[in-house]
Amino acid sequence: MPHATTLIIILVLFSASLIGVLVARPSITATRIGKILAFLVLFLLPILCAAMGVSSEMDRSKTTAFCLSCHTMEAYGKSLHIDDPGHLPAAHFQNHRVPAGEACYTCHADYAMFGTLKVKLHGLRHVYVYYFATPPAPQNIKLYQPFNNRECLHCHLGARSFEEGAVHTADPATLPAVKSNTLSCMSSGCHEVVHDIAHLKDAKFWKGPE
Amino acid sequence: MRPSVDAMERHIQLTGALLIIGLLVEAACLLWARPITFVIFVVVGGFFLLAGVTVFLFSLVSAPHVRD
Repeated sequence: MPHATTLIIILVLFSASLIGVLVARPSITATRIGKILAFLVLFLLPILCAAMGVSSEMDRSKTTAFCLSCHTMEAYGKSLHIDDPGHLPAAHFQNHRVPAGEACYTCHADYAMFGTLKVKLHGLRHVYVYYFATPPAPQNIKLYQPFNNRECLHCHLGARSFEEGAVHTADPATLPAVKSNTLSCMSSGCHEVVHDIAHLKDAKFWKGPE
Repeated sequence: MRPSVDAMERHIQLTGALLIIGLLVEAACLLWARPITFVIFVVVGGFFLLAGVTVFLFSLVSAPHVRD
């Protein structure tokens, strides 16, 4: 458990114990000092704890381990270890083109305004489906919308390998089309092999760190 | 005078109870990094904390004005 989370838990338990004192002896609040204490303990501390807790939970919900903790996502996690540079997510994960600890979130975040909120609301829906409905089979999971090039360009735009790549510059119309999202990065013949979980059993896996 | 003090103390006890439940839920959820704990943290913990703070603020505005 990260140290920050441990400190937040200690703060939460400390706040709960102070509140417990006020619950056991509410007459303390009759004095001026007691009123100030009550305001600190019953208002400011809980808000501080909630804010720090939300921040911690949001950070943790971006981790690869968090996403892969659902059984449905196991195959997708396994696809990150496929030993094939043509396999787009695996190549990004294994070569740290995305932070390995936040691999899912880095590519599947919406880099527009309120993008984090949007993906977290989708995440809440996923939890609902997972526990209270019938989750789809892993191979039937689809994106809400076609993958937007904006998410790729968040990192690749301006990079020499992207701007001057032989394939990208062979046709002068390619780069403008990619940048305007009219030609998907994952078009056939480009970077089309993504989470190919249907063929996992035939794949060779990289024996790198978990 | 006494009944209003009792009401205030009852509000403080109710506030405290709600906040303690909310904080304990929050602490428990922070121990496990799982999607379900994220939901419990937001929905259950958030509900109790919000309810506790609301009762506390309500107790402040509903307390009778006492002249010195």
